[in-house]
Amino acid sequence: MQTETQQKKSYAQFLLPVFVGVAALYFIVLAKAAIFPFVLSAALAYILSPMIKYFEVRGIKRTYAVAGLYIGAGAFLFLVVYLLMSFLSLELEALKQDWPSYAERIQVFVTKMNAKWVKDYPFLASLRLEAKLDHLLGLVPQLILSLLPMMTLLFIVPFITFFMLVGGAGILDYLVDHLPARHAEIIHHIASRIDGSLGNYLRGILTEAFVIFLIAFTGLLLMGLNYAAVIAILIGMSSLIPYLGAIVGAVLSSIVAYLQFGGAILPIVKILAFFTGIRFFDDWFLQPYIMKKAVDLNPAIILLALMAGAEIGGIWGVIFSIPVTCIIKEIMQIAIELQETEFRWKPKPEPTRISIPYT
Amino acid sequence: MGLLNILSHIYDEEILAKLTFLKGIKLFDGIKKRQLIHVLESLQERTYLKGETLFAQGDIGRALFIVFSGKIALSRLDPVTQKSSVIAQVHPGEFFGEMALLEEMPRTATAHATEDTKVFMLFKIKLESLLFARPAIGVVIAAQLAKILSARLRAIIEKPIAE
Repeated sequence: MQTETQQKKSYAQFLLPVFVGVAALYFIVLAKAAIFPFVLSAALAYILSPMIKYFEVRGIKRTYAVAGLYIGAGAFLFLVVYLLMSFLSLELEALKQDWPSYAERIQVFVTKMNAKWVKDYPFLASLRLEAKLDHLLGLVPQLILSLLPMMTLLFIVPFITFFMLVGGAGILDYLVDHLPARHAEIIHHIASRIDGSLGNYLRGILTEAFVIFLIAFTGLLLMGLNYAAVIAILIGMSSLIPYLGAIVGAVLSSIVAYLQFGGAILPIVKILAFFTGIRFFDDWFLQPYIMKKAVDLNPAIILLALMAGAEIGGIWGVIFSIPVTCIIKEIMQIAIELQETEFRWKPKPEPTRISIPYT
Repeated sequence: MGLLNILSHIYDEEILAKLTFLKGIKLFDGIKKRQLIHVLESLQERTYLKGETLFAQGDIGRALFIVFSGKIALSRLDPVTQKSSVIAQVHPGEFFGEMALLEEMPRTATAHATEDTKVFMLFKIKLESLLFARPAIGVVIAAQLAKILSARLRAIIEKPIAE
């Protein structure tokens, strides 16, 4: 009887946490769109937190460290974004004007190729490539302009991030403080392991994307290619997704070069050589240096994660897929280790024994 | 005077107290105060209330604990008599659980707070990243750790002779 009551008591202690967890999950599902800027802000706060800690351990109070970082970085970023936006708006405007003529030239090129292919392989006619391309080309300017509303996130996210940074890891600390004390060591251990690999990955990939953006922007500007800023930004952003940066750069720049230089081959060859160079520089120098302490993911796993991310959350799903995979991999590894050690799946590890006595 | 007032608002005196405290820890002997900032960055703080258990004998150890304030009792269960007895009291400035930094092996004693106690935890993974990212600091800690373990080993072996 007593054991039964004890068992009931031990189940009852999980009621509140499970209820809160389910309610939180239900809320997230209901308010998915509203939660999204908060997820981005949490990610940004996490990336910036080492900078705050840098000042904090040097004696600057957290609120002043966050305010200082915002004033300094904010002024710098505002200037960069302002310059970039004025540069970009000119380029986007030019692209909007030039697009019909570009679209026509692409269409002529594809029509010619299509006619040749259909002549050689009649079954291709059933695919109606021409009509599909026509539809796609009409969509491109709309697609680019539809990205502009996302710019509002640029204002909302830093605002939310500020308060998250000032609060610090307060909520997490509160939760850990209210868990049984004996589990605190293992919880902090798991947190520091995830922080180790995920933090290094995120900071590494952002640095990598920025360096690739700078190289691409300088290179394309020197080659005299139109829309260098737009292309470089797209390359930088797509570098957040493994393997994509240089491919996007090479394809986009080649199309622009083809249209700009009237179909001349040499500029395209130069651009392809430039992006091959970037790819090798990234693989041989940048990644080994920047990502040396980040989690090591198998290329097949990366591809699976990217495809699953696209399926679940579209473009944002793709961007978040790798960091989430890092967390899952680390949790899986820790879970397996715990199964082996805590639940004795494996025989107890033998301590190092030395036959020679202490002398 | 006004500037000093502003500075005292911005500056956190507690950090200075923590750095001074770490300077006195044997494990960090030989590390300059300026470098101790990086050590402080790697430490995790936590307060345990009186009576709370930090870890139990047989749990896998993953961190070293440095007592900042309060008191911790270490007790060991005798496998023959099944009786638990306190083997040591850990006071501010002292540390325990250093074996976890070398091997993730079961703890050899149970630790519980006999007062409200604030501790700093140094996890194995953080020591490893200190060793790689800041070898000048990591090497000093590793050498001190070796010295401390050697001293504890000597104490065990010399005990019967002394008695």
